[in-house]
Amino acid sequence: MGREVSESCVDSLLTEMVSSYCDRFYANKPELAARRIEAIGFQVGHQLSERYTMERPRFSDNLEAIKFICKDFWSELFKKQIDNLKTNHKGTFVLQDNRFRWLARMSIDPSSEDGDLSQDNSAPVTENKAAQATSMHLYFPCGIIRGALSNLGIPCAVSADISSLPACELLVMECIRLYLLSYAHCIAFISTARYSFFSQSRSSCMIIVIFHPCISERALRFR
Amino acid sequence: MQFFGGSEISPSPPAPTASGNNAHMIYVFNRNGVCLLYREWNRPLHTLNQQQDHKLMFGLLFSLKSLTAKMDPTSAEKGNLGVPQLPGQGCSFHSFRTNTYKLSFMESPSGIKIILVTHPRTGDLRESLKYIYNLYVEYVVKNPIYTPGTPIRCELFNTTLDQYARSIA
Repeated sequence: MGREVSESCVDSLLTEMVSSYCDRFYANKPELAARRIEAIGFQVGHQLSERYTMERPRFSDNLEAIKFICKDFWSELFKKQIDNLKTNHKGTFVLQDNRFRWLARMSIDPSSEDGDLSQDNSAPVTENKAAQATSMHLYFPCGIIRGALSNLGIPCAVSADISSLPACELLVMECIRLYLLSYAHCIAFISTARYSFFSQSRSSCMIIVIFHPCISERALRFR
Repeated sequence: MQFFGGSEISPSPPAPTASGNNAHMIYVFNRNGVCLLYREWNRPLHTLNQQQDHKLMFGLLFSLKSLTAKMDPTSAEKGNLGVPQLPGQGCSFHSFRTNTYKLSFMESPSGIKIILVTHPRTGDLRESLKYIYNLYVEYVVKNPIYTPGTPIRCELFNTTLDQYARSIA
């Protein structure tokens, strides 16, 4: 559907996005950079899911939506499907891709092989740096999945894990349980608020209205 | 010269005999003379230390290129000897052969120079050098972690290159 863009163009754009956010905009603040990249992915996933579900009927349950992500959504994006889908039937899904397209050309420093004892401390440090560099590139696809699912009505949290390049695992955790928990908190707050701010009923209403959206936002970001 | 490749690595040119140890070493320089990659598979004699070796090789090729362009009998306009030439300007020098080795050279429009030293009876390696350049683009340039202009430290590139070098006739 629509126009085509060269794949190397998209690859270079994503590489440059991650490196600008990590090295220039939020240098020394990797968590903020990760948040931003994930938010960009969220927007993209939101709009893409709108496009790709245009001619489909509604999804009957969450499993159907996740299967859509694994099959049709992933093939529209990467021309292949997710290789393995695991679930614990309690709202957590693990999507495994054995050759993730955006990681296909990534390779790290071949580690130095001297068995010098004094260099024992440096080995885990360099491994951490490599792991961090590679994990930064996964925040964008996590955001895409989160955006797509939230557009389909499933608030969730997505995290990624690289076991061995170029395979990666994406963990999707639905926030239903957390949502209910925070809703209970909100109701408890409403009852106490009504009691303590009895004389200023209008302000208590305002407090309730403003607080509620904040709780749901927090539930969405809770990992 | 055509440097366009598809998104997947194009199949390597057919190697008539794969006898293993034909390629001795490879150098990759960028346009500023920084040695991006040096790999050796079969080098019995080391004469200079690494830095001097790289500088010597880069200087040699720079001079050879300008010399061959200056001595070209078919070109009408020739610059003065020593004037730096754009890649592709003037005639392009491919290889030279001695009784113990053959050196093949390729320069891309972006100034990446690939030098392959092989057994003297190796045939024309221009297609092989183009394939190596394609490998460079796929595994180094498109690697999100690589910073251009720095020495290449990509495991994928090294392994694919080693594998290919073993199959060069």
